[in-house]
Amino acid sequence: MEWFTHWSIERRVLVGFGLVFAGIVIISAISYRNTAVLIENSRLDTKSHELVQLLGSVEDALGVAESSHRRYLVTGDESYLTSYRAVVERIPEYLRYLRGLTNETGQQQDRVTTLEQLITRQLEAEARAIAQRIKRGYEGVRHLALSGAGKNEIDEIRRLMTELDTVEQRALQARVAQSAESTQSTIALLGLGAFLQLLLLASVYVLIHHDVTERRRVATELRSRGELLQAANKELEAFSYSVSHDLRAPLRHIDGYAALLSKAAGDTLNDKAHRYLETISGSAKQMGQLIDDLLVFSRMGRQDMLHTTVSLDQLIKTVLHDLRLDLQGRAISWTMHPLPNVSGDPAMLRQVFVNLISNALKFTATRPESKIEIGVATQGPADVEVFVRDNGVGFDMQYVDKLFGVFQRLHRNDEFEGTGIGLANVRRIIHRHGGRTWAEGGVDQGATFYFSLPLARSLS
Amino acid sequence: MTTVKPILLAEDNPRDAELAMAAMEEHHIADKVVVCRDGAEVLDYLYCRGIFSSRQQGNPAVVFLDLKMPKVDGLEVLKTIKSDVNLKPIPVVMLTSSREECDLSKSYALGANAYVVKPVEFHQFITAVKELGVFWGVINEPPPEGSDQRGHVPASV
Repeated sequence: MEWFTHWSIERRVLVGFGLVFAGIVIISAISYRNTAVLIENSRLDTKSHELVQLLGSVEDALGVAESSHRRYLVTGDESYLTSYRAVVERIPEYLRYLRGLTNETGQQQDRVTTLEQLITRQLEAEARAIAQRIKRGYEGVRHLALSGAGKNEIDEIRRLMTELDTVEQRALQARVAQSAESTQSTIALLGLGAFLQLLLLASVYVLIHHDVTERRRVATELRSRGELLQAANKELEAFSYSVSHDLRAPLRHIDGYAALLSKAAGDTLNDKAHRYLETISGSAKQMGQLIDDLLVFSRMGRQDMLHTTVSLDQLIKTVLHDLRLDLQGRAISWTMHPLPNVSGDPAMLRQVFVNLISNALKFTATRPESKIEIGVATQGPADVEVFVRDNGVGFDMQYVDKLFGVFQRLHRNDEFEGTGIGLANVRRIIHRHGGRTWAEGGVDQGATFYFSLPLARSLS
Repeated sequence: MTTVKPILLAEDNPRDAELAMAAMEEHHIADKVVVCRDGAEVLDYLYCRGIFSSRQQGNPAVVFLDLKMPKVDGLEVLKTIKSDVNLKPIPVVMLTSSREECDLSKSYALGANAYVVKPVEFHQFITAVKELGVFWGVINEPPPEGSDQRGHVPASV
């Protein structure tokens, strides 16, 4: 039984159903066969009964023929001859019936054949005696008159007919026994079949009931989890609201009072004290930026998304226009390949390009000439892979998995400023569009950032 | 303009209030500013009751409202102002730390005239407060004072 416990529920159910089904099929087949036997037996029984009856008739007819021919031989009374002929006329028909009724059993058929020959011989003997009587009168048949013609044949015929009768009765009895047995087994099998069907129905009910209960349980659980999730989401919203509102106030105060102090006591402070004050406001600003970025990141995850056709070419133009202050005084060589229209949220996708292009500008700041290239890596039937490449400081490929993580930075803050949220935002936005992000690069060999987006449906 | 209308600043945080005052001082409009520490005080001022029962009659030039305040919060104050026929003409500027979309849309739906997010950086903050004070308190021409028929308090307060 150990193998059984290792089976999965589905397998057990399948095997159980298979067994019960096979049982029902076998029972049905046996019942069908039994019923067929019963029908066949009843047909054969009818035949046997007819045979037995016919044997009686044949015996009677032969008896009448024998006695009336003998009476005619003795008396010469024509009326006996008439009744003799009437009986004899019927005999061939009887024999034909007899042959028909025994056509399915070889031994009985053989007996009938023998019987036919004997009867023919008897009738021929009788006919000869009658002809003799007519031709030569009583004297011609005196030696036959008392015993009648063909005495031996009559005995043989009687014996044969008894045998035929006995054999038929025996077959009949055997069939009755067989029918009774087959009826009994059919009843038993039908009972078993009914039981199996009940079993099948019961297990189907149990399974369905189990399934329905399970589904209801899962639905309830899903609902309660959904409610929990909603509550958690609300809490998160309240949290980020609180962060947005309450965390910024003290930062504002730090920066504000540092500025007021610097203004009020600026003349009496030495350079060191001024630097301290600057550091205080610098840190406050940095934390303010961090909070703002974090809020944007959190909002990107929750905010409802639009699904419209966005022209990436157009989008990049507006992004570059917005970044024009950052571009001042920089030597930049742009390589812009034409980009397709995609399906997505314009504001979110704008954020993607702002972050990627700002990154490219930031990490190429140490280069005499920044080279930034934007184009299509591959374009499939339903989506497009866009890349943003720069000739900046790049990164070590062994840290590539950390690039898109929240607060993950590959550079010290004194090398390149940043909060470590930009690329996390890019990834979140692209994921929400059903795309993916990845990057390639090498230390001091520039970096290439890739992302995929679904293409706009109408490519106009 | 015969009488100089005051600027009402509703700010529960004394430091924020001080910083705002410092900003106003730079433009010499600080003496016009009345600071309320919560929403209830704002309503007391507007309806001339409580500590303000003896103040000179008349609406302020502008109300700067913080969203999060004890007792009565900024949105409730805004709702009361905008549903009172006498207070309705007062320009209300939401001055808050919250950049949340729901606060923005609720404020505008209730009839706020402007929504300003307090910048973290002091210089930006000072510029923002200064410009707001100058625009709403000096440059903006307030609606003419109608027949003074205030005095009844809405049931909701």
